[in-house]
Amino acid sequence: MKAWFKEGEHWVWFSAASVSISVVLVVGLLLMISIRGLVHFWPHEVYDYQLQSENGQTEQIVGELHDTKLKEIKNSESGMIEKIPQFLMKVGNRDIYGIDFRWINTADIIGRQDRLDNGVTVIERFEYGNVYGHLQTIIQEGQVVAEQKQVLPMMHQLVEASQTLYQRINHIEKVTLGGINYQLEQLRLEQKKLQAEDQYDTEAESALNQQRDELNAEFREQQAVLKGLYSQLNRMGEVSLSLAGGQVIQVPFKSIVRFWQPNNMSVFEKTGFFFNSIGHFLFGEPREANTEGGVFPAIVGTITMVILMAIFVTPMGVIAAVYMSEYAKEGLVLKIVRISINNLAGVPSIVFGIFGLGFFVYIIGGSIDDLFYEYALPSPTFGTPALLWASLTMALLTLPVVIVSTQEGLSRIPTALREGGLALGATQSETIMKIVLPMSMPAIMTGLILAVARAAGEVAPLMLVGVVKLAPELPIDFNAPFIHLDRKFMHLGFHIYDVGFQSPNVEASQPLVYATSLLLVLIIVGLNLGAITIRNRLREKYKALGN
Amino acid sequence: MSEQNMSVALDRDHRGMTLEGEEIAMEVKDWNLYYGSKQALQNINMQLPKNRVTAFIGPSGCGKSTLLRCFNRMNDLISIVRVDGEMTLYGEDMYAKQMDVAALRRRVGMVFQKPNPFPKSIYENVCYGLRLQGLNDKAVLDETVEWALKGAGLWEEVKDRLDENALGMSGGQQQRLCIARAIAIKPEVLLLDEPTSALDPISTLAIEELIFELKKEFTILIVTHNMQQAARVSDYTAFMYMGDLIEYTDTDSLFTNPQFKRTEDYISGRYG
Repeated sequence: MKAWFKEGEHWVWFSAASVSISVVLVVGLLLMISIRGLVHFWPHEVYDYQLQSENGQTEQIVGELHDTKLKEIKNSESGMIEKIPQFLMKVGNRDIYGIDFRWINTADIIGRQDRLDNGVTVIERFEYGNVYGHLQTIIQEGQVVAEQKQVLPMMHQLVEASQTLYQRINHIEKVTLGGINYQLEQLRLEQKKLQAEDQYDTEAESALNQQRDELNAEFREQQAVLKGLYSQLNRMGEVSLSLAGGQVIQVPFKSIVRFWQPNNMSVFEKTGFFFNSIGHFLFGEPREANTEGGVFPAIVGTITMVILMAIFVTPMGVIAAVYMSEYAKEGLVLKIVRISINNLAGVPSIVFGIFGLGFFVYIIGGSIDDLFYEYALPSPTFGTPALLWASLTMALLTLPVVIVSTQEGLSRIPTALREGGLALGATQSETIMKIVLPMSMPAIMTGLILAVARAAGEVAPLMLVGVVKLAPELPIDFNAPFIHLDRKFMHLGFHIYDVGFQSPNVEASQPLVYATSLLLVLIIVGLNLGAITIRNRLREKYKALGN
Repeated sequence: MSEQNMSVALDRDHRGMTLEGEEIAMEVKDWNLYYGSKQALQNINMQLPKNRVTAFIGPSGCGKSTLLRCFNRMNDLISIVRVDGEMTLYGEDMYAKQMDVAALRRRVGMVFQKPNPFPKSIYENVCYGLRLQGLNDKAVLDETVEWALKGAGLWEEVKDRLDENALGMSGGQQQRLCIARAIAIKPEVLLLDEPTSALDPISTLAIEELIFELKKEFTILIVTHNMQQAARVSDYTAFMYMGDLIEYTDTDSLFTNPQFKRTEDYISGRYG
């Protein structure tokens, strides 16, 4: 034993143990968010339970089983503690029942447990969540047009047709009408600008009015098309379903996102549904205070912000690092600057958020508004939290990382190579541009990777400088200049916080929190892998440098 | 530095050395160099003949590399270095205030002790200096690259793989590539700082033969540790010791009939 200690074997064990713990923690984290997040997309089977309530009445419950907990109950006769499972059921039909999740006590179940109901249909709606029930009839303009066995095939047809209509409606509303609105807004601002500059004469007025009339005419035209599409949707009628407890609910086709019969699905169909659900999640708009639907705007917002941040931080950091390691004279000042930069990396991120709000948004943004957008005041253009300020704040936050790794990279370039360049008659700046910087690219990329990972994960400062719960428009669209730096945007990190902590429907939002976390991790990993691939390719190019 | 050495150094004036019939490329007068407060070169006076190979020999730390780096102002990069004296290239003051250092370095090329090719293709390495001068005409570049590689005795080995990364070559090839790179911009003077110290005997031989060829077109200054090498390749040899230029004369006389005891001790291998 003594020899064992003497040889330092225990240190090996200690380090092996801490490595294993770290690995287990990381793998456990990924596994947990993956499983919890992905289970959400798998079609749950729907159970049908008969419950005996206390007053002797029976009650039917139809829904998905989401969670099981053991409740300890003291038996009054024997004094023993019994553990009775409690089921968390998603019963849906929020407009009828008021809540869509219910805890039930398994002791109350008197009906055949786990009797899977084959005919049960789940309908996902744009509002009020899911419907769980049995298909009855399809009604169009007051007439029953399908009953019993005809219902399902007709329903498939109608839902598909309504989806197509919705796609057209969506396109017109978002792209066409959105574009017209954007142009009208630009015209309004132009008028205000002309008025402020005192150049708003009759000529300008008529020109503006003409443009406006054209746009309005187009707007009305599109609106008429839209109205036609909507009435087409309305004419599709509704499907009636009988719910547990005997109630009947009419669901209009225009409010159906999709429907499925989970208990009749084969594994193959379920897998298809699973990927379809993931598609809805990735490319859909959020609904119902973000607790349903997709996260597409948040994905776009996160990636746009990160890319802008990279565009801002890389040149800034690299130039600063080049100055400090190539030009600046060693001395007290440089030492102080270096220490300050290293310490900047340790400043809590919320402090950067406050600085971004106070400096970028109010001072810089406010000044830009005063100088260039005075006509639009009092409504601010840049003097308000926006994508630009969020990216700049993030760039500032990640600046030390880029500077430090670039400096490390620069210091690794052998002096011999710089001298080689200089001896051929290159000036110092030519040597830096053509030899030193290209060769430091792997190090610069390393800095960028760290910066991206940090920026994509930060939430706190973003809440102050541009992220919102629900942004009406994406920061990127088809209207020139295509990327709108003055818009607020959505962000996955903030989305997680918002859905998890600010949502009224806790049970519904829980799987979404996991799914969104998984997505955020995947996006960061993806961005990093991209950068790492580039870096490795560069390293390959310079690999013989070490000798 | 002992009193005796000082007096030896001060007594000597190499300007009087016979360089009959030689055209003078560079001239050094009363040259002193200091690293901070430490003096590294003392009162160097010498003339360097055109189209000849001049070798600098001496024990480690004697200042021969430092002196060589003065000839293309490489020491400017070291902030603590301070120089005084006069150094001229064809009569032009190299340390004049208005001198364009980059232009001077184009006239006085340098090859370093360790091969330092850029992590680019062989072709791009050779035309790096030309591109710096704004030359981008493909035909001219091709021609110059071929000329320089032939001049460095490397053309036959690499003509089929000019696009390959230079870092994939052997050490000897890399060093010859560095020579090709240096002569591609057609400098007037070529400084070689122990160019073969990191190479194997066969590569060394190749480079020595190359030096012999190159002196037809360039004035060559070579620092070497290897006395046989100095004897083989150079026309004139300077022996330096502790920052002093002890003896500077034609190679034959220096090796067969040294005038100073220190030189004799060194070349007969008694120290160094």
